Amino acid sequence: METISQMAHLGAGIAIGFGAVGAGLGIGFATKGLMDAVSRQPEVAGKAFGFFLLGAALSEACALYAFVIAFMLLGK
Amino acid sequence: MEHWIYNTNILGHAVSLNLDTIFTMWFAMIVVIIFALLTTRNLSLVPGKLQAISESIMKFFYGTLDTMIETENKKHVPLVASLFLFIVTANLMGQLPLRIIHLKQGGELASPTNDINLTAAMAVIVLIYYVAMGIKAKGKKFLIHDFSFTGIVMALVEILEMFTRPLSLAIRLFANIFAGEILVSIALGAMAYFLPLPIMLFEILVAFIQATVFMMLTIAYIGSAVKEEH
Repeated sequence: METISQMAHLGAGIAIGFGAVGAGLGIGFATKGLMDAVSRQPEVAGKAFGFFLLGAALSEACALYAFVIAFMLLGK
Repeated sequence: MEHWIYNTNILGHAVSLNLDTIFTMWFAMIVVIIFALLTTRNLSLVPGKLQAISESIMKFFYGTLDTMIETENKKHVPLVASLFLFIVTANLMGQLPLRIIHLKQGGELASPTNDINLTAAMAVIVLIYYVAMGIKAKGKKFLIHDFSFTGIVMALVEILEMFTRPLSLAIRLFANIFAGEILVSIALGAMAYFLPLPIMLFEILVAFIQATVFMMLTIAYIGSAVKEEH
């Protein structure tokens, strides 16, 4: 049916949109934490950046879960 | 994005094999094995160039394990190091010009980690390994909790974790690589030759970060399994 595939496309858009909100908030908080740490103790910048990349990758993965769901919906 | 699927029949069961994933997986494994053979040839007390490179790579694993697991951390190096080296090689293969070639049967020779079957298999290996290490370290205390309210809740949460940990490990690695490849394809369609370049450079960073994340989470799971509780 045509309407089901149209609804699936709409659902894919909604899924990736809400998924991106959460991951964006997460990376924003992580960046805030990094900036706080570096402005207090500039000498830990290198070490803190490594942990920041790790945390950013972990929270970015949540958006990618939504991306996988969206891609599965697009195939419907 | 789609795979070269070969349908066959083994002992009466319908089996479909993703042949492009198998081919690229063997390619990545051969690259890692050749690297290991080359660097361990002619070991000497004063390291040459190749030996110095491999020693600094191994020192990275020993250092990471030292900071995250307190006791008997040396014996986990084979699993952790081979996972990291294989995932890095596999992820970087996705950025080779090899993937422009579209196979006649469908699919392309991109990185093997864009197939969820491969990442799920690695995640299940990690699950089996850390459960085995926990049982070895603590005996049956690893599986049995106190018969009290907290004990029952903890047991339920740990049973749930046995499913969610490999699931999230597998989907995280797969989705990152898959999304990266689709992003490069979309950029190629939007503005060929120039727009994909910065994205491909970013994907090289992602390849290393995702391999590190997979390794760190593996170490954290093993560490939480063998940790002594007081």
